[in-house]
Amino acid sequence: MIQMSISELQMTMTNVAGITSLLAFWAFVLGNISKWKVKIYQAAEILILTGFACLTAGIVIRGFEANRFPLANLYESTLWFAWAILGGYLLLVRRLGQNQLGWLASLMATMFFLYGSWLPGNQQTITPLVPALVSYWRQIHVPPLIISYALFCLSGLASLLELWYAGRLRSLALAAITIVLAISAICLGTYTSIDTAWLQLLFVGSSVAGMFLSWKSLSKIAETKVSTQKAEIYDEISRKSISIALPLLTFGVITGGLWANHAWGTYWSWDPKESMALVTWLSYAAYIHLRIHHELSAERLSIVSIIGLILTLLTYLGFNSLGFGGLHSYGRFK
Amino acid sequence: MNGPTVSDRIIARQEPLSAPTFIIYSEKVKAWLSNSLASVKLTVFLISLMAVFVLLGAWCPQTSQGGQDKVFEQFGEQTGQFLINIGVANIFHSPAFLLLIGFLTVNIIFGSFKHVFPKLKLLKIPMPWLTANQILKMPVHNEFAANIPLSAMKNKVIAYLNKNGYKVKINGEQLTAEQGKFGRLAPTVTHIGLLTLLTGVIWTSLTGFSGFKPVIPGEVFQFGDAEHSKMWIGKLPNWSASVSETHREDYPSGEAKQWYSSIAVQDKEGKLIKEQTISVNNPLSYDGVDIYQSSWSLKSLKIRFGNELKTLSLQPMGKLFAAFLPLPDEAVLIFSVRDAQSPLRIFAKRKDWTAPKLLTQILPSKTANLGNVAVTYDGTIAQTGLQYKCDPGLPIVFIAFIFIIGGISLAAIPHKQIWAQLKENDSNGTLVTIGGTTKKGKVSFARQIAKLVDQLQKVSKV
Ligand code: HEM
Repeated sequence: MIQMSISELQMTMTNVAGITSLLAFWAFVLGNISKWKVKIYQAAEILILTGFACLTAGIVIRGFEANRFPLANLYESTLWFAWAILGGYLLLVRRLGQNQLGWLASLMATMFFLYGSWLPGNQQTITPLVPALVSYWRQIHVPPLIISYALFCLSGLASLLELWYAGRLRSLALAAITIVLAISAICLGTYTSIDTAWLQLLFVGSSVAGMFLSWKSLSKIAETKVSTQKAEIYDEISRKSISIALPLLTFGVITGGLWANHAWGTYWSWDPKESMALVTWLSYAAYIHLRIHHELSAERLSIVSIIGLILTLLTYLGFNSLGFGGLHSYGRFK
Repeated sequence: MNGPTVSDRIIARQEPLSAPTFIIYSEKVKAWLSNSLASVKLTVFLISLMAVFVLLGAWCPQTSQGGQDKVFEQFGEQTGQFLINIGVANIFHSPAFLLLIGFLTVNIIFGSFKHVFPKLKLLKIPMPWLTANQILKMPVHNEFAANIPLSAMKNKVIAYLNKNGYKVKINGEQLTAEQGKFGRLAPTVTHIGLLTLLTGVIWTSLTGFSGFKPVIPGEVFQFGDAEHSKMWIGKLPNWSASVSETHREDYPSGEAKQWYSSIAVQDKEGKLIKEQTISVNNPLSYDGVDIYQSSWSLKSLKIRFGNELKTLSLQPMGKLFAAFLPLPDEAVLIFSVRDAQSPLRIFAKRKDWTAPKLLTQILPSKTANLGNVAVTYDGTIAQTGLQYKCDPGLPIVFIAFIFIIGGISLAAIPHKQIWAQLKENDSNGTLVTIGGTTKKGKVSFARQIAKLVDQLQKVSKV
C-alpha cells in the first residue's frame, strides 16, 4: 500500500493541476492544427476540468495541513489565481463555445504554477502569521481580490483575441509584446537582483509605449482576417469577465478598508498596495463608462481592457517585485 | 390676404418682450456648463487622471507616512528632493489632487442628477405591445411558421421563457418578456453610494480627529495633540486613558503573534470608567473614540554598571532589539534582547574586529561580571503604539460601501427584453414573430432566442 502524508498529497494534487494545465495548453494548440479538432478540444477541456478539480483539492488540503485559511502568502495566492483562471474559463468561456481562449488561459495558469513554484522557499512554506493577519477578515478580504485579478487577466486575454478576429493584427502584436515585456520585468524582479529602477523603466516604458502604439495601429486592418461574429463573442467574454471581476474587486477593496478600520482605526491610509488596488478599480470604472458612452469601438475597448490587464499584473505582482513603494506593511512602527 | 390674424398680432406683440441677448447668452453658457460638468467624457478623463495620480502616490514613498528619509533612501538626494519639490512625495495632500477630487465631486453630482437618476423613471414604464413589423426591426429577430395550434404554441413559448427566468406578459396575440430589470438600478444605486461616500468623508473631516501615541506603562494620555482638518467644528474628549501593562505574545519560532495593552479610561475627576485589554484587531471604544493597538516595541533597557544606573534606548533589529554604548577608541558595546523575559546578550565590537564578540548573557534582574565591573540587568521598558480616532462620518461611509458594492454587482445583470406575436395561420398552425434587445451580452441573448426558435421548430415537425 502506498503511504502518503497529507503534505505529499497536497503537493501531488497541486502538481497534477500544474501538469494538466500544461497538457491542456498543448492540446488546445494541437487542436488548432489537427484534423480531429473537436475530439482534441474535448480532451483539452477535460484536462482543464481535471486541473481545476485537483487544484481545488490541493488548496483545501493545504488549509487543513496549515490549520488556517490557505491564502496567506504569495505562493498560495498564485494557486488561487491559477484556480480562478481555470474556473473562470470553465464558467464564462466554455458556454460560449470558444476554444481559442483555452490555450491562452491554460498558458496563463501554467505560468502562475511555475511562478509560484520557483518562488524562494520562504514564500512557499507554511509560516505563522504576523499579528495584523490573525483575523477572520483575511479570508473575507483576500480571495475576492485574487479572483478579481484572475478574471481581469482573463478579460485582457479575451481582448487580445477580439483584436485578432477584428483583423487588428498589428495592434495585437504590439499589445502581446507589451504584455510579454511586462511579465519579463516582473519575473526579472522576482528571481534576479537587477536594480529595480531599470525594471521599473522596462515595465513602465514598454507599457506606455507599447499600448500607445497599439492604440495608434487600430486603423490598420487586415480585412481578410476579419470575423465580426467571433470578435463580438470575445468582446462579450471580456465584458462579462469584467462585470464579475469589478464587484469582486470592489468588495475586496472595501472589506480591506473595513478590516483596516477594525484593526488600526482607519479605513483608508494611502498604503501603496491599497493605492494600487484603487488604480485598478479606477481604470475599470473608466472602462464601464467608456462602454456606456457608445462612442468607443469594441477594438478601442479591447485596448483599454489590455491596459487593465497590465495594471492588474502591476498591482498583484509587479508592485513588490519591481520595488514600488516597499511592501504592504502590516504591523507599523511609526 | 386679409392682413395679420389675431394670433399673429399676439405673437408680434410678444416679440419685444423676448429676452435680451445677454440673458440668452448666459442661458447658453449655463446650459453648456451644466452639460460639460455632467458629461461622461469628463468622467472618464477625471477618473483616468485620478488613476495616474494615485499610481504616482503608490510609486513614490509619501512623506506623510514615512517622512522624507524614505524618499531619499529610494531615489537619492537629487531625485528625492525634486520629487518632494514638485509635490509627488506628498501627492494625496497636494492642491492638484484636492482640486481633482473637487472636480470629480462636481462631475458626479451633475452627472448623477442629469443622466443617472432621471433614468429611474424608465423603470416604471411597462414594455409596449409591439406589432410584428416593429418586432422585426429589433436587433435580434426571427419569424417562422409552425404546424401546431396557437394555444399549444403559446404555452411552449411561455414555458421556455419562464424556464430561462423571464417574466412574461400576454395581451391577446402579443407577448412581452423581461429579465434582469433590476440591473437597470445599477448606475443609480452606485452613484447614490458615491454621493453618500462623499458626504460621509466630508462629515468626518469636519468633526473627526485622530492621532498616534507611543505610550509606556504608567503613562496617562489625553487627546490635546489630535490631528484634524482646518475647517474643524468638532470637539475633543475631556476624559483620559492610561496604560497599566503591555506585552507581546510570540509564536514558538520567535515571531510576534500578538500585542496586548491594558487600558483604563478615566473621567475628568480621575474616576475609572472602563477597563479593557486591547490587541491588534480588538480595539477599545468609548464615547465615539476608538483606541487601537497599532505597533509595539521595547523602548529601552535598564542596566547598572556597579551602582551607576543607565537607561539605553533600544532599536528594533529584525526579531531582536538592540542598544549601543560607544566606548573610547571607536569601540562599542552592543546589547541585544529578544523580549522582556529573554537574557540580555552583551557584545563588544572594535574597529579592527570583523565581527562583534559575545561577552556575556544576563537574565533579567541578575548580575554578571564584565571585566571587573558588576553589571546588573534590570529589565526592559516596553512601549505600545496606540492609534486613536473619532470618525463620526463612519456610519455614513459604511452605508455608502453597501450601496457601491450593491450597485456595481447589479451592473453585472444584463437587462433583456423580448417581444413576440403569435398568430394563427391558414393551415391551423401558428406564425411566430419574435425579437428582442439587450445592452449587455448580445451574443448570449441572440443564442438564447435562436435556441428557442430551434426548439419550437423541432416540436412543430413532429
Ligand atoms: C469613481 C466614480 C464612479 C464610479 C465607480 C461609477 C460607477 C458606475 C457604475 C457601476 C455604473 C453602471 C454601469 C453599468 O450599468 O454597466 C455607472 C453608470 C453611469 N455613470 Fe458612473 N460612476 C462613477 C462616476 C461617474 C461620474 C462622475 C459620472 C458623471 C457624469 C458618471 C456617470 C454615469 C452615467 C451617465 C452612467 C450610465 C447611466 C445609464 O446609462 O444607465 N459616473 N457608473
